[in-house]
Amino acid sequence: MTPQLDRRAFLKLIGVTTVVAACGGAATGPSAAPSVAASVAAKATGRINIYSALNESTNNELFAAFTKATGVGADVLPLAAAGELQTRIRAEKGNPKADIFIGGDSSFHDGLGKEGLLEPFMSANASAIATEAKDPSGNWTGWYFGVFGFVSNTDRLTKEVSGKKPKTWDDLLDPAWKQKLVMPDPVKTGGGYIFLATQVFRFGKDEDRAMDFMKKLHPNIAQYVGTAPQGIQLVSQGQFVGGPNWSHDILTEKAKNPGIDLTIPDLTGFEIGAVSIVKGTKNLPGGKALVDWILTKEAGELNVKLSNRVSVRKDVAPAPGAPTLDQVKLVTYDRAWAADNKERLIKKWQQAVGL
Amino acid sequence: MRGLTREPPLLLALLGVVALVLAFIVYPQVQVVIAPGSDGYAAFLQGGTWVTPLRNSLQVVALSTTTAVLLGFLYAYAMVYTDMRWKPFFRLVGILPLLSPPFVVAAAYILLFGPRGIVTYGIFGQTPIIFGLMGIWGVQTIAFFPFAYQLIADVLSRSDARMEQAARNLGAGPWQVFRTVTLPLSRPGLGAAILTTAIYILEDFGNPQLIGGVFTVLPTQAYSLISGFGDFTGAAAVSTILLALALALYLAKLRLDGGRSFVTISGRASSMPRPPVPPGLSWACFAGCLALSGLILMVYGALVVSAFTIAFPTNITFTTTNFQFVATGSNGDALRNTIVFGTVAAAVSAVLALFAGWLVQRGDWPGRRALDFLLIMPAAIPGIFFGIGYLTAFNQTWLDWVDRGWIIVLSMIFWNIPVGYQAAVAGLRQIDRSLDEAATSLGASKLRGFRDVLFPVLAGSLRVGFVTTFVRAVTTLSVVIFLFTPPTTVATIRIYQLVNDLNWGGATAFTVADISLAIAALLVFALLARGRLVLGMARG
Repeated sequence: MTPQLDRRAFLKLIGVTTVVAACGGAATGPSAAPSVAASVAAKATGRINIYSALNESTNNELFAAFTKATGVGADVLPLAAAGELQTRIRAEKGNPKADIFIGGDSSFHDGLGKEGLLEPFMSANASAIATEAKDPSGNWTGWYFGVFGFVSNTDRLTKEVSGKKPKTWDDLLDPAWKQKLVMPDPVKTGGGYIFLATQVFRFGKDEDRAMDFMKKLHPNIAQYVGTAPQGIQLVSQGQFVGGPNWSHDILTEKAKNPGIDLTIPDLTGFEIGAVSIVKGTKNLPGGKALVDWILTKEAGELNVKLSNRVSVRKDVAPAPGAPTLDQVKLVTYDRAWAADNKERLIKKWQQAVGL
Repeated sequence: MRGLTREPPLLLALLGVVALVLAFIVYPQVQVVIAPGSDGYAAFLQGGTWVTPLRNSLQVVALSTTTAVLLGFLYAYAMVYTDMRWKPFFRLVGILPLLSPPFVVAAAYILLFGPRGIVTYGIFGQTPIIFGLMGIWGVQTIAFFPFAYQLIADVLSRSDARMEQAARNLGAGPWQVFRTVTLPLSRPGLGAAILTTAIYILEDFGNPQLIGGVFTVLPTQAYSLISGFGDFTGAAAVSTILLALALALYLAKLRLDGGRSFVTISGRASSMPRPPVPPGLSWACFAGCLALSGLILMVYGALVVSAFTIAFPTNITFTTTNFQFVATGSNGDALRNTIVFGTVAAAVSAVLALFAGWLVQRGDWPGRRALDFLLIMPAAIPGIFFGIGYLTAFNQTWLDWVDRGWIIVLSMIFWNIPVGYQAAVAGLRQIDRSLDEAATSLGASKLRGFRDVLFPVLAGSLRVGFVTTFVRAVTTLSVVIFLFTPPTTVATIRIYQLVNDLNWGGATAFTVADISLAIAALLVFALLARGRLVLGMARG
């Protein structure tokens, strides 16, 4: 390296340090220790590779804002399928290509963390986040919630089910719903399984009562579909009257087709959307800068605007039509237990409904 | 073969093909097969969650293969034997189902024929249950008959008209000729068509995923284990079960066509026209092809209409925003990558498949059965495992200088080699060895005999290999999903992302753009090939 290049790199570093230190200070607020922000920012430069399971429409603006705020460039590999990205990171472990894995339920991140494929990092900005929304060992940090809701086709609901939206999941057992519901398959989709596990937690882990509910629900389900968005699409087309599904996706579809609506029955399940740094990253400061930034109020608000999801930050208002976390009643969802008992529960469910 | 020791270039070529197969089919796949470890397999097999999907897979393969091959045969017969009209139109429409990127086309079926489908409910007031076995069966029949059609048409068009004329002259009626001459002589093609179609149906993921409902087959189980739960071990075990099934199908096919001779092209020239089929049959074929084409066009019509409306079918206001969207950002790059990757992969794959087919079919060296199976095997590997295998095998630090585009092209070449290879073998079995021998006894090397004598005769098989590889490369999602990088994104990845984003208009517009580009490319290739073949003939 020539001395000239050295000097240029040095000047650039100084410049970035000054700019980011200023940003960091502003974003984290007066309470955050300025020295922490500065020490992180001092090294954050260059570009990072992001494996993103977020929606297409979210990626571009969100990461452009990140680059604008931090000066770190972002190359995004978009794939709205956390399982595929998780598998990809695992298959690449000999020669990691990702610096950041973002989006998707925390269980996808947790699996990688347990295999030692993630770089633990506790962001100073995560301190205000509820403990269950972040990994105690720092492998991943939750930054949004995806809440399970109910989509209904207003026209058909009025005509065929006398317009009654479900207030609780038990309302779906009404025979008026017979063969009119569509839900994601618990075997094939993460969302479908969250719905199944939600029932178990709703009955205080009384599996027999939960399976009894699923069995009684079964005649009302016209179809279990292989991907969650397909369920919303089919209700939107009027092929079916309603179904349990992700509330943020329901709101996204509702923006295009006002003929559908979202309700959130009590004691519903949710995902914790996580972010993690991949072990072997070639730009650790850049990765840390992203985790720090994604937890800011600014990033949370942007994500709410773009994706309709709910921020983990209490100071970020929800999207229009979306509930705040205080308004919905969530079940106590034991993520580790749900993951460990998956195969057993699914088999139990298959036996209960006779599939 | 003795020729191997006498012809070092031939030996080298053979070793080269073996090395390619080992490096790009066996090695990556071994990475997947060994992944679960013996404990992983034991645990998974004991778990028993694979039993129902296995049963479902077998059921679907039996049903869909039967109807797809039947339909493919009828289509091929109509195209080759009758003098019905609109043949170029039918040829084009017959390729369309091959050009359907996963998800979007199956979704169009639901739109048309679902419980509130435009046709089923809108016109007939019916609310059929198309999810499940019936839906998969129907959609797969339409989606896979073109494979059978391509393979069978190639074989039928090579069958010798003289034999049929002779039978007619001896007093046999058209039906008797068909049953006792045409059908038996097209057996290798039929065998290849049945096997290839069956294996592709076995491996099909997109259709069962979208229209299967709770009816889970092995590929959807494997996929959902990864996608829904990140259970790679279980998924790899399912993939291995699929491979075992493919092996069983392969062995069944070996038994089926034994060691009989199907030679219909000998050294002597034939310029006799085919005996005419009765006009009634021609018209019946025309009507059948028309009905089938109508169905296919309706499905693609629904896509085009969706692409030009805001939210079909709930809001059918005309709009061009979906196409404007396709033209923005890096979407153009994705479309360009699709066509470039597909073209390179198809060209290499078709030629390599033909050459490998010649080595295996004409050679008598030990181990050719094994090579034969290895060249058919990729058809049974679910695309995601082909992709994961490539990622595991070739994402190495010392290979980082290789552009990811090349890895994607390589995966497309070898994942799609079975169709071209099957076509080549089926074709070669109908060509008398005296043709090669004439060349060699005139002093040509075997390689030269292949290049100058057999290669031109096998233009049809080459075309089958090229076209199917191209359309599959253009429409594959599962292979590239683990390999693509931002600069090497392809159209199917973008479509998948849009479908997950509930952007139906954008997804259909992208699909329409993708299919249109692919058809345009195929037409250009056809024009180029025609010029080339004419040149070749002039030289010969």
